[in-house]
Amino acid sequence: MIQLLNIEKIYRTDTIETTALNKVNININKGEFVSIMGPSGCGKSTLLNIMGLLDAPTGGSITVDNQSVTSFSRKKLAAFRNLKLGFIFQSYHLINDLSVIDNVELPLLYRSGISGAERRKRALEALGKVGLSARTKHYPNQLSGGQRQRVAIARAIIGNPEILFADEPTGNLDSAMGEEVMNLMLHLNKTDGTTIVMVTHDEQMAKKTQRVIHFFDGQQVS
Amino acid sequence: MLRKKYYTALTLLGISLTIMIVTIFASFIDQIISANPPEVNRDKTLIVDKVSVFKNGEQTDAMPSITFLQKNIRDLESTEIISYFSTKEFVSLLNGKAAGHALKFTDENFWKITDFKFLQGKAFDLNEVKKGARVAVINEKTKAYFFNENEALGKTINIYGSSFKVIGVVKSATPFSKVYSDVYVPYTTDTNIQLTDKEIEGSYSAMLLAKTNDLKKVRAELKTRLKGKHTVLGADSVKVHAFTALEQFAKSSSRNDDEPEYGKTAIVVLVVLTLFMLIPAISLVNINITRIGERAEEIGVRKSFGATSGTLVTQLVIENIIITLIGGLIGLGLSVYASQLLIHLINTFDPLFKMPTDSFIISWQVFSFCLFSCLLLGLISGVYPAWKMSRMNVIYALKGGNNI
Repeated sequence: MIQLLNIEKIYRTDTIETTALNKVNININKGEFVSIMGPSGCGKSTLLNIMGLLDAPTGGSITVDNQSVTSFSRKKLAAFRNLKLGFIFQSYHLINDLSVIDNVELPLLYRSGISGAERRKRALEALGKVGLSARTKHYPNQLSGGQRQRVAIARAIIGNPEILFADEPTGNLDSAMGEEVMNLMLHLNKTDGTTIVMVTHDEQMAKKTQRVIHFFDGQQVS
Repeated sequence: MLRKKYYTALTLLGISLTIMIVTIFASFIDQIISANPPEVNRDKTLIVDKVSVFKNGEQTDAMPSITFLQKNIRDLESTEIISYFSTKEFVSLLNGKAAGHALKFTDENFWKITDFKFLQGKAFDLNEVKKGARVAVINEKTKAYFFNENEALGKTINIYGSSFKVIGVVKSATPFSKVYSDVYVPYTTDTNIQLTDKEIEGSYSAMLLAKTNDLKKVRAELKTRLKGKHTVLGADSVKVHAFTALEQFAKSSSRNDDEPEYGKTAIVVLVVLTLFMLIPAISLVNINITRIGERAEEIGVRKSFGATSGTLVTQLVIENIIITLIGGLIGLGLSVYASQLLIHLINTFDPLFKMPTDSFIISWQVFSFCLFSCLLLGLISGVYPAWKMSRMNVIYALKGGNNI
């Protein structure tokens, strides 16, 4: 599903050159739930961003769903992300001026051929899956952390993405809410077969996934 | 808009003040030059209100006399109708209070060239002008002043010690036009006219309704008519100045007294308007950069889920145009009050001859121009900040525009 070949990410300023990723080679298979773990600053979030096509590598190539995406234009990448990928962020990144249902609908706004009624229907379905059908008209600041993250998950899955990228999805939640969110993601992986790549510090959460990739200093160590 | 009320308020204030000033400026120019009622023929109506007398190599400019006009500015092939008029003032005393009124001495042709709306009664005709009948047409402001809600027709008003019978009431013209007056009476009642006088200089003007839009033809005919004629003993030559309101306005920025320089005037107007719009636009650009910067995280989220730069620019520009239109509407509303305030201020300098407070009229042309200004302001102040934001790296945007 995802193939990273000799991926490099180097940040250059006038005086300093920092290698965040050093010739990384990773394969993620379809339907896998993979965790990426490592100490702070090891490059795991950078790796996730590159896999999710939110950032471009300095070197190497990426193949997602049998398509070589490294040479895609910005416009093509945006369309690809919209169709195939979903994102769950540590800070939820919900838009505070939009209601829950409007937040969830957001990805479908950028997909042609979907009417307003269809968007609404799919948003309600997605909210149903995360157990928040009763909160459609609420605003993010009226929800708990766990509820916000569930809204974020609903937003991430509304477009039926093939791959979900989750960057520390339980990082800002207490253990109970974190457990809730993790179970939801496990359920999505099991029932819908969604491929999930998750960055986490939490070893307990990582153990629940099918594979754990350990990172250190920009390189995969196991 | 509701997210950061401070920025929104600042933006709306800037836009509304800009549009308010632009509206008053545009309304003023519109009333000077546009063919709005009653001056529906303004684009073909030339006003002769200046003669140049050349004597011994020297030039003297003055208003023409009625005798000069009646002798030389008549029966022109290139004109349809000619009217003569003089604008004076008189003071009335009502209930112990003095008030000034604009007075126009004119003829029956005045009502044929203009298109005044008669609310009551009628205009004076050729017969009444010939007889020097003491009849008057008044505007609605004057009717309200002298007669309140009561009937005005048949009643009299005192002008220079003589009683004039009111025979008509008209909708007021704009005080910025040559046809404005509070009271209109036949010029034959003007006791200051000396109809046998041979003098060139006087206090009268002529209004010429050209047959076609070829106004140079009228001026050429006038030039030919006056060539070689010594209408006054000792004068080498005489030249009349005949221009429409628009041409007068276009001449105001040129040294050339012969023909209007539209290009130069257009540049002056454009520069003034640009300054009015550009300075607030630059301030709005800065405010918008800050406003949009605060939405960096939102931009990052939208981009993550597939929004392209083009989509984001369109969204942000449309949002900005909506805010600008709201500010513009507020500005239009403010211009009504601001213009009344301005007139109150002007009236303090001349409390006797007060301009009506509703003198600034927003015609559909001015409204359209202001709408266009809003859209332009919205585009100018929105495009660059939106483009800047849309180019922001996704990761950088998700971090709120911060590097770490």
